[in-house]
Amino acid sequence: MAVLTVKDLCKTFGAGTARSNRVLDHISFDVRGQTFVSIVGPSGCGKSTLLNIISGVEDHTSGHISVTGDSGSPARLGYVFQDPRLLPWRSVRKNMLYVQDSADEAAGTRVDRYLDMVGLSKHGDFFPGQLSGGMQQRVGIARAFAVEPDLLIMDEPFSHLDAITARGLRAQLQEIWSHSKKTVVFVTHDVVEAVELSDRIIVLQPGGKIFEDIEIDLPRPRRQSDPAVATLQAEVLARLENMKALTPTVASAV
Amino acid sequence: MSNPVIEAPPTAAAVTWQEGEVLARRASARHKRKRLALLVAGWAAMLGIWQVAAYYLPFGTLPNPLEVGAEMWDIVAGGALVSDLFASIAKTAVGFAVAGAIGAPVGYLMGRYNYWKAFFHDGVTVAGTIPALTYAVLSLIIFGLSDLGPVLAVALVSTPYVALNVAEGIRGVDQSLVKMSQAFGRSPRQIRREVFVPTIVPYVFAAIRMSFAVAWKVEALTEVFGGTNGVGFQIRNEYQLFNITGVIAWMGLFIVFMLLVERLVLRKLEQRVLAWRPDERAVQ
Ligand SMILES: Nc1ncnc2c1ncn2[C@@H]1O[C@H](COP(=O)(O)OP(=O)(O)O)[C@@H](O)[C@H]1O
Ligand SMILES: [Mg+2]
Repeated sequence: MAVLTVKDLCKTFGAGTARSNRVLDHISFDVRGQTFVSIVGPSGCGKSTLLNIISGVEDHTSGHISVTGDSGSPARLGYVFQDPRLLPWRSVRKNMLYVQDSADEAAGTRVDRYLDMVGLSKHGDFFPGQLSGGMQQRVGIARAFAVEPDLLIMDEPFSHLDAITARGLRAQLQEIWSHSKKTVVFVTHDVVEAVELSDRIIVLQPGGKIFEDIEIDLPRPRRQSDPAVATLQAEVLARLENMKALTPTVASAV
Repeated sequence: MSNPVIEAPPTAAAVTWQEGEVLARRASARHKRKRLALLVAGWAAMLGIWQVAAYYLPFGTLPNPLEVGAEMWDIVAGGALVSDLFASIAKTAVGFAVAGAIGAPVGYLMGRYNYWKAFFHDGVTVAGTIPALTYAVLSLIIFGLSDLGPVLAVALVSTPYVALNVAEGIRGVDQSLVKMSQAFGRSPRQIRREVFVPTIVPYVFAAIRMSFAVAWKVEALTEVFGGTNGVGFQIRNEYQLFNITGVIAWMGLFIVFMLLVERLVLRKLEQRVLAWRPDERAVQ
């Protein structure tokens, strides 16, 4: 069943003014449950705008969008941001409990389980300021998983980290995802990262149309060193070269 | 973990952090001893100058530290200290409470809404720059010989500090934390309690510390002229009896007490509440 349905979605900032800027142009796609979907595209092509519309922070100009939760209840969303966004005055554990809807025993167990999964079970009582940037981002990831969301939204969560830390976190994210099978929409401008993590990659082009919709059918866990992964990464990159050639005309047409 | 995790395992990072902590603690212990030595030297120099001045000035102008010390002991032993000191503390505390009750909401409005900022800004700024003495005189004119004079003076002096600091604190709220809270569906009440209040607390402490330094002086000053009890009232009594030793003794007791409150109560409380801040941890 589709957890996320996007149909003919358009978004124009400043519609009807001289600065009118069409960011999303008739976007349609469905995301089935328990899949990991990446949205890839050059910066400024509307990826964050799309996420903001999905989460309801931003409204759209036309089209239709819906997120369906389990058993008809309102869908629960989880977020991982570019920066960790932890409360500096609360311990790691209290930060995770803060976004739980009830502070019962089950919530505590969930928090501990995901904290363990990101390898921070010993750091529950630490303040965020006592952790490295990579560890803080792991708390951010654990926090989002621990709300057991129907849809987990991640907006370039590794782009502020150094390459080595980011690589470790990607491996960890793969592992957690394999255990929990949450439905994920993951935004990145890094095609290589998208191939490593996703079941499917939706490529946005400048001007806000879908350029390609690519299934990634590779066994997990995927490793950077695996030739099959590397080959597919090269192939996808080559296909996107076409978009690069197309970029100037698209940009000037907007 | 089965994955090839290249990042250092979390425990390694924690050890590094703990090592840093140990080094910092050692450094701060050395620092503490040095500071204590300087503190003692400062007091000794001050008392020494006082002693020399008392010796050379004409007899009866300035009593020496020992005489004042003996007088202070008499006041403490005689029990007068407790009731008068308590009266002064009570008046300062009530004045502070009034300042908080008025200053905090005003500061909240100023920090939160630009309209209210425009409305209050000049008034609060002017109120903050008026000399404390003016407030003391104003309070005396309004209440004359009464306990309410010192209370009003403290309230008038402290309110602008509280308002400006709370406003500053609200403007310091990290909007990305507010957005995160909203994204996870937290209620406005939760956001106020978990994001706004903790951001503002350090600013409120700063306000209390800053205004406390002025408030207790104004309180005593107002009592000197219009008090019916309290430390300032006692200073006037001794003055009218030409007992300079008594005047200085009361002054000394008041100073000692206020230093204790500042150093022990306020600072300790601040350290406890702000324990999450890295610099606060280094101090402990
Ligand atoms: N609130 C806004 N008002 C006007 N324009 C905006 C707003 N937010 C984003 N945009 C514009 O929309 C385009 C896409 O932005 P964004 O979705 O952040 O891109 P991405 O996340 O893909 O880098 C950019 O050209 C940006 O200038
Ligand atoms: Mg973005």
